[in-house]
Amino acid sequence: MSEKALESKPKADLADFLESLGISGQTLLLLGILTVLIAFFAITEDRFLTSSSLSSMGFQLPELGVLSLAMMVTIIVGGVNLSINATSNLGAVLAGLMMTRLIPEGAAEGQILLYIGLALLIFLTIGVLTGILNGLLVGHIGIPPILATLGTLSLFQGISTGLTKGQTVTGFPEQVQFLGSERFLFIPLPFWIFVIATVVTYILLNHTAFGFKMRMTGTSPAAANFSGINNNSIIMRTYVYSGLLAAIAGMIVMSRTASAAYEYGSKTYVLLTILIAVLAGLRQGFGNALNIFLAVLILQVLSTGSFMALRGVRGSTFFKDFSWGLLLVAILIINYHVRGRRTHG
Amino acid sequence: MLKSIIKRNEFITFLTIVVLSAVIGIINPTFFSVSTLFNVLRASNVYAIMAFGLLLVVILGGVDISFVAISAVSSYSTHMLLLSLGYEGGILLYFIIAGVIGIAAGLLSGFLIAQFDLPIFDLSLAMVTLWYGFDLFFIGATANFDLPEGMVGYYGAHILQVQDPVVGQTGLHISVLYVLVVGVLVWLLLRYTTIGRGIYAIGGNREVAIRSGYNVKAITMIVFPILGLLASIAGVTQGGYQRNFNPVLFIGQHLDVLAAVILGGAAITGGRGTVIGAYLGVILVQLINRALILTGIPVEWQQFTVGVILVVFTAVPAIRARRRKRIGHTEESEKFQEI
Repeated sequence: MSEKALESKPKADLADFLESLGISGQTLLLLGILTVLIAFFAITEDRFLTSSSLSSMGFQLPELGVLSLAMMVTIIVGGVNLSINATSNLGAVLAGLMMTRLIPEGAAEGQILLYIGLALLIFLTIGVLTGILNGLLVGHIGIPPILATLGTLSLFQGISTGLTKGQTVTGFPEQVQFLGSERFLFIPLPFWIFVIATVVTYILLNHTAFGFKMRMTGTSPAAANFSGINNNSIIMRTYVYSGLLAAIAGMIVMSRTASAAYEYGSKTYVLLTILIAVLAGLRQGFGNALNIFLAVLILQVLSTGSFMALRGVRGSTFFKDFSWGLLLVAILIINYHVRGRRTHG
Repeated sequence: MLKSIIKRNEFITFLTIVVLSAVIGIINPTFFSVSTLFNVLRASNVYAIMAFGLLLVVILGGVDISFVAISAVSSYSTHMLLLSLGYEGGILLYFIIAGVIGIAAGLLSGFLIAQFDLPIFDLSLAMVTLWYGFDLFFIGATANFDLPEGMVGYYGAHILQVQDPVVGQTGLHISVLYVLVVGVLVWLLLRYTTIGRGIYAIGGNREVAIRSGYNVKAITMIVFPILGLLASIAGVTQGGYQRNFNPVLFIGQHLDVLAAVILGGAAITGGRGTVIGAYLGVILVQLINRALILTGIPVEWQQFTVGVILVVFTAVPAIRARRRKRIGHTEESEKFQEI
């Protein structure tokens, strides 16, 4: 995309300007779908645009959103990371066990904050360590990413299961819930985190040398190698970044639910993040964090909206799965026609 | 000849099974019994049937995860339909109706993939959430335990009864025959038909296959209904065996089947894989599950052990491939010449 921007005529029009930002037809398509869905549910459901429903969405979607970004970066370099959710839960379990075991009864406010700081450190360490392991297996050893991260998924979830003996860890100090329950400028804090993570990932991918190399490695490892790019190092750093994002998602979950469970979201989240990636038009070497942001919003709106519309119908919570599938098929077909009209792709 | 056998991935899988069995047997001698053999075979059956279908897609160069949802939707909707009609007969009608549904679902996937040139994995992702959602919302959300008269005995339908010294009477379930029949048919298809050679050719090098005259669309439209049919057979068999029909049957187990196919030597990039390998892969996965119970590893640490085994077992072939690459016979370099 960036080469195209360079070739363009000096008279830059709107399309060129958007393209230089990395905004493609896919972004506009997603924006259109989101607008139509919000308008539809706002008209048919009076409870949809109320502040309570908006804020519940604002607290709910960020953990999935940040996990989707963690998935996204690995798909960009031509991989996949099935272990993201297990990483989040491992971080939460370790931080949770540390706090419940070490914080003495009746500890002072300052002392508790110190332990929470230590918990954050545990999260970040787990993010980095799991990322290094994934990066080693995928890059240096060369296991197909889907298998390598399936193995580490089992490994990380296994450690969480073993340490907690399958129990949910609870009983944290109240201050832990700050992140998952407070707002800043009327917007839930988790949503801010999601916005910041999106912007950082966007800048990293589209406006840094590292992001450019990531896209090179994803498009063609052989060509990247011959251009002097160290694929293994790029893959390693990408998986570490992915692990860090997954750990941040774990912080949000732990703070929002005031608990740490080895199996939280293990049946749905990984599949959903890949679904979001496909919805966002992500391919090896190509992708945009803004599209991920929009795709997450679309999924949440569809889920909340259809739940409200089908209130009282048996099994109404399951309609969202069906509608997500239909939407994804529709997007794939639309993308096919858009691709067909261009010469490349 | 011997050297070429030893070098094959299937042989490595086989060797792993032998070594693993020996280790479990040394730790827990009750492992070596007819009952264990029959249990491992029976537990493997439904996964093997699905693995044979998935194998075709993997050789074709794709990864599908929607077959588990097709298993669920075809078996569960067949059961609910027949239940509402007051059907009291045997399992055969279940296979026929579910089979038709499975083939239809497979045709839909195949059509969308072929017609709109969609990535197989992306479409299967849409289909897995679509079919499970459809099943739960339109058909029913809870498992159903009312079996028709003719299916009650299916649980104990054994083709062979043996007196086992430890557990007493033990039997080999009839579903092992399905595996045999399906396995032989898929093997014949892959080995002796133009379609089968086309599947390998497309997975090996799509561009060359197209130029040699293989019809990619037609072959795609054949492979997916086969996967759908096999998934529905597995779904009905499992429902009959566990004596209930579940709208979310096999949910989350797509990766176990995929892992089995890959452990059995199929290349995730396509063009390579065998029926025998896939079957050995399924047996290996079942054996690992059983090993954990029999060797006395605490329940809460079993998944961790599975993780360690998976990482080690996928790393070994990857390291071997890396060595081969240094010598120069590489997939990468072949791919590069193509560019």
